[in-house]
Amino acid sequence: MDQKFLKRAKRNDRWARYGITLGGVSIIFCVVLILLLIAKVSVPLFLPADADVFAKFSLQGEKQDHPILTSGVDEYLETAFSIDKTGMVRFVDTRRSQLVFQKQLQSANGGKKILAIDSYGAQKFNLLWDDGSLGLIQVQFKPEFDAEGTRTIRPVIKQIKKLPTPENGIPLKSLARFHEEENRTTRVDLMQDGSLHLRQWVVQEDMLGEEEEVVQHTRLTEGRETLTAMALGTLGDILYVGTDKGELLRWQLADPEEVALTEKVDASGDGTAITALAMLLGDISVLVGDDKGRVASWFPVRKPEQGKGKFLEKIHTLKPHGAPIKQFVPSSRNKGFYSLDATGKIHLNHTTSERLLLTFEEPGKTERISASIRDNGLLAQSADGKVTIWEVDNPHPEISWTTLFGKVWYESYDEPSYSWQSSSGSDDFEPKLSLTPLIFGTIKGTVYAMLFAVPVALLGAIYTSQFASARTREMIKPTVEIMAAIPTVVIGFLAALWLAPLVEINVVAVFITFILTPFVFFGFLALWDQFRKKDQVKDLEKGNEFLVIAPIFIFSLFVAYLLGPFFEGVLFDGSFKLWLFNSAGMRYDPRNCMIIALAMGFAVIPIIFTIAEDSLSNVPKPLKAASLAVGASRWQTVARVILPSASPGIFAGTMIGFGRAIGETMIVLMATGNTAIMEWSIFNGMRPLSANIAVEIPEAPVGGTLYRVLFLSAVILFVMTFVLNTVAEVVRQRLRRKYGRF
Amino acid sequence: MDITNNKSESLWRKGEPWVWMTGASLALTLLITATLIVVVMVNGLGVFWPANLQQLQMKDGTRVMGEHIKQEPMPSGEGDRAQFKIGNREINGLDFRWINLPDVTETTEPKDAVAIEREEYGNFYGYLTGVRAPGLEGTEDQDVLDLFHQKKEVVENLEHRIEALADRIQVLSKQMQELRLEDQRLVYNGVKDEDPELLDVRRMHNALREDFTILLNQQDELRAEQARYRLLLEDANGIKIDLPLSHVVRLYQPNDMGTGSKMLFYGSKLIELFLGEPREANTEGGLFPAIFGTVMLIFLMSLVSFPMGVIAAVYLREYAKDGPVVRLVRIAVNNLAGIPSIVYGIFGLGFFVYGIGGTLDQIFYPERLPTPTMGTGGILWASLTLAILTVPVVIVSTDEALGAIPQGVREGSLALGSTKFQLLTRILLPMASPGIMTGLILSMARAAGEVAPLMITGVVKLAPSLPLDGEFPFLHLDRKFMHLGFHIYDIGFQSPNVEAAKPMVYVTTLLLVLIVLVMSSVAIHMRNKMKKKYSSGTF
Repeated sequence: MDQKFLKRAKRNDRWARYGITLGGVSIIFCVVLILLLIAKVSVPLFLPADADVFAKFSLQGEKQDHPILTSGVDEYLETAFSIDKTGMVRFVDTRRSQLVFQKQLQSANGGKKILAIDSYGAQKFNLLWDDGSLGLIQVQFKPEFDAEGTRTIRPVIKQIKKLPTPENGIPLKSLARFHEEENRTTRVDLMQDGSLHLRQWVVQEDMLGEEEEVVQHTRLTEGRETLTAMALGTLGDILYVGTDKGELLRWQLADPEEVALTEKVDASGDGTAITALAMLLGDISVLVGDDKGRVASWFPVRKPEQGKGKFLEKIHTLKPHGAPIKQFVPSSRNKGFYSLDATGKIHLNHTTSERLLLTFEEPGKTERISASIRDNGLLAQSADGKVTIWEVDNPHPEISWTTLFGKVWYESYDEPSYSWQSSSGSDDFEPKLSLTPLIFGTIKGTVYAMLFAVPVALLGAIYTSQFASARTREMIKPTVEIMAAIPTVVIGFLAALWLAPLVEINVVAVFITFILTPFVFFGFLALWDQFRKKDQVKDLEKGNEFLVIAPIFIFSLFVAYLLGPFFEGVLFDGSFKLWLFNSAGMRYDPRNCMIIALAMGFAVIPIIFTIAEDSLSNVPKPLKAASLAVGASRWQTVARVILPSASPGIFAGTMIGFGRAIGETMIVLMATGNTAIMEWSIFNGMRPLSANIAVEIPEAPVGGTLYRVLFLSAVILFVMTFVLNTVAEVVRQRLRRKYGRF
Repeated sequence: MDITNNKSESLWRKGEPWVWMTGASLALTLLITATLIVVVMVNGLGVFWPANLQQLQMKDGTRVMGEHIKQEPMPSGEGDRAQFKIGNREINGLDFRWINLPDVTETTEPKDAVAIEREEYGNFYGYLTGVRAPGLEGTEDQDVLDLFHQKKEVVENLEHRIEALADRIQVLSKQMQELRLEDQRLVYNGVKDEDPELLDVRRMHNALREDFTILLNQQDELRAEQARYRLLLEDANGIKIDLPLSHVVRLYQPNDMGTGSKMLFYGSKLIELFLGEPREANTEGGLFPAIFGTVMLIFLMSLVSFPMGVIAAVYLREYAKDGPVVRLVRIAVNNLAGIPSIVYGIFGLGFFVYGIGGTLDQIFYPERLPTPTMGTGGILWASLTLAILTVPVVIVSTDEALGAIPQGVREGSLALGSTKFQLLTRILLPMASPGIMTGLILSMARAAGEVAPLMITGVVKLAPSLPLDGEFPFLHLDRKFMHLGFHIYDIGFQSPNVEAAKPMVYVTTLLLVLIVLVMSSVAIHMRNKMKKKYSSGTF
């Protein structure tokens, strides 16, 4: 033979072997790869925050006797600033430790020294001068781009408000806020004698349309308690004060006419002094830090058993420090905060997830800390003016196992709950990402669908494989396979727009059908018993029973349809929906679980049917023949001989159908209300994992928390179906080996 | 023992009711299937049949004209109420109206009532009273319908000229877009403002812009000319409407049509369905882009999944040594088939769209960032996602087809001195080809009906251009596309006017169901034929 040809054939064969082996092996990796890639996206959710030292330098000016009172940094971490006791603001380039700009602040009444500074919100400060006057300023950084696109940052100091000296002396400590929309200024002063005073300026319009500023002065406490910490909401409408006995006092200040102590609670439980207070973003939660280093968040909740109104409740307890808490710095982006203790140790926490994300420690003892405005950096300053700036990477602080799967007590909620609400209009909204209601929705829909599908599919498969005539069987099998090919979007559409309105009108008739059908069925059998020996119908019992039964169903459905309005009038006062709401307090959603059960059941019936039918047909014929030969009836043969032998296959089919129902997306997306509620009621819908992914992923920013949580829910779906399918497949392979012998 | 005892003959003995119960389950399954098909057929097939227009004289003196949709007993039990499609959205606000039949004094079907399909505001039902057009003074005695048809032709000629201009404008704007991108690229690469190449680009851009403006002006003139042709209409209550003739898509008098002309009408609607573009937020007009998108998607998907699936199956059956590894692979493959499609979608989004697409953007189109070119959903990514989703179907059926070939065939071929590759290409694959084809068709049917993964990898409700056109490079894999399945979801659930959209949803559903059913029937038929061939045992 031609040697060249032989050589070429051999070479081709070798290459083909490599190529095909490579291709085959790569398919195996596909499964692993899919899981790995999806998991990879969701892993960062659980990683701790990360921080790198960005810059280290000294802020101290030339005059050592003017200590720094506060400091801060811009969002690029490039420009830091400090305000010292004389009111001098210095801006320093953090990378070159160079003074770039400085400005002297002036008091309203000629004060020369600043007594105390309180900072709040977006780099806003109130400065208490030694003449008792108060200045509200905001430090802003305006990025400017020149022709080459180089960025320079221009610092701006904005004067918000100047408040005069109080008439009863110079306070020890003052807090002030300006509410722009309501044009209201709030000032709280802690006086030398320990008493607390509130002043609120409101601009009022008189009858002639002229504006006039009215001041309202209230004495909040008499000075009997020793006040150790204060926190005022960013709009000045709520005030928290802590005492050395561990008590927490709350005032609502939104209405200047009616200011009174709203509540006083024992926050520590053992009389430990409260050393730091701060309001979290959104002004709902207050952070309480005490002398023993414990940190907790509190907010008022409704408690009907204690009376009207809201009562303070300890909501989240965070990891304690070893030393008294000195300062809290709430985040400007989420419900997280930094806490600083007396030894200079800094914690980065998140309240809702109760996670301690990061711990910072500097050799030089940290005196005070501040966060950059975009919350991407932390500045720690020691008493001698040494400053360290960290670049903080904290992408998903709100995620923990508890927030994903457990009950979480969100702000403004009266109790812990499982909730999914990923977005809202307002800026300080906290996304609620509990997967539990979604998993519940998936399971609820699947269970109801399987309750319908499994009996129908299995019984149908038994009939087709064991009782039906050969000709019937040859027609049924392709029909069911074609049924499997009907797109789920079609089933979902019909369920939602055709079936759901129909069921809504005739819901009573649907129930009547359930009750009526068995009666009609057995009534028919009793009748049939009389006629079954007649020559004309005898053949129907040889595998064509289903043809006789079909009209029975239609008949019972029709009778129920006619009876429906009558029973609705008699039993439910004419409207089942109203009756359901009034007597059981349940809402009737048009797109509810009954619809889902039917639609999704219909989608999985062919899958269960096909696999079960295959395994039933594969039971060796001699078994059946032997059973029939010893006198068992056809049902006895099926129930005692065929079914046990085929049970692994039936089990596998059910599992695979279960897996299909779990992942079904379009039907549930279209035919449920997609509300994430956790109720087993068949009259309302649910929000399953799969539909949730389809609804939310187009709006989720890439790399964001929601995006990763959705990938995590895909992993959950993957794992759920993977387990079910693997179990089914292992059982099936066993079965195949077992019966391979026959 | 007397086995012919009457009691043992009874139906109630020996579990016979159970047998009937199983029969009932099967009957139930088949009934639901039949209901589904019938509902889709009845609602889908009737959509294009021109319904007669009924004019109702109401007790309060007003008149209503419209198509009778359905009738049901009133909740209060006093007679029936009927739903009418009354059209004329600009007058009535809504297309549909429920009318209590006891309030109607007289129902007529006037022969001269016209139904007009329009470019906007849905259908018009009423009377044609006149046509206004340049040079038409003094021809009042002529039949208005004839006049309409004459002038419609004129307007259509104008429309063709406008479209021709629009084509040229599109070409120009495409060239301008390319120049702009070129400009962007040069600037990105750091070319100075006075660079001759950049100046050239900008000069050409300006020249094109001048042409562009001229063409736009010409188009405006034609539009103004067209706007002078108008229809004068009156609704049932005598409210006058002045409609530009160019807005008329179709005008007909359903009450004056015989069965023959109604069938012709039905035919023309079908042609529009298959070849026309959608109108009115997808609730009217044709499905051509959706059909095209679906076919293209399936085609691209098959290009990938077919070779992948066949190679994997050949490896499993012919090359790999049977053992725990192969068993593991089989489990993995069956698992792949069971993974929810939305998980594939998420994978496609993370891996293809953002992973590969994002990387391609950074390498080839850095100047266009942050606007993504490949790093956004498109037909390529969608079809790759579907390919992975359907590969298991191809693997399983190819594997089964190869397994059904008797071992003797292989041994015979090898004994005659063939290599394994020759055995594969000349004997095994041809013999297994019906099985492989079955797998391919089944996977295509699955792809045609799958929507969830597409929703997140590039399907859109209205694509501005097809993924395949006459523009270089002809095949635009980065483009978004339309899909029949998504069309159903979109117009049935996202449309502002669900009631008006329903007929179109049913038509789309019918079309999709037909496509899928035909494909799977063919596949199943082929498989059964093949089974018979091998079970008869030629070898």
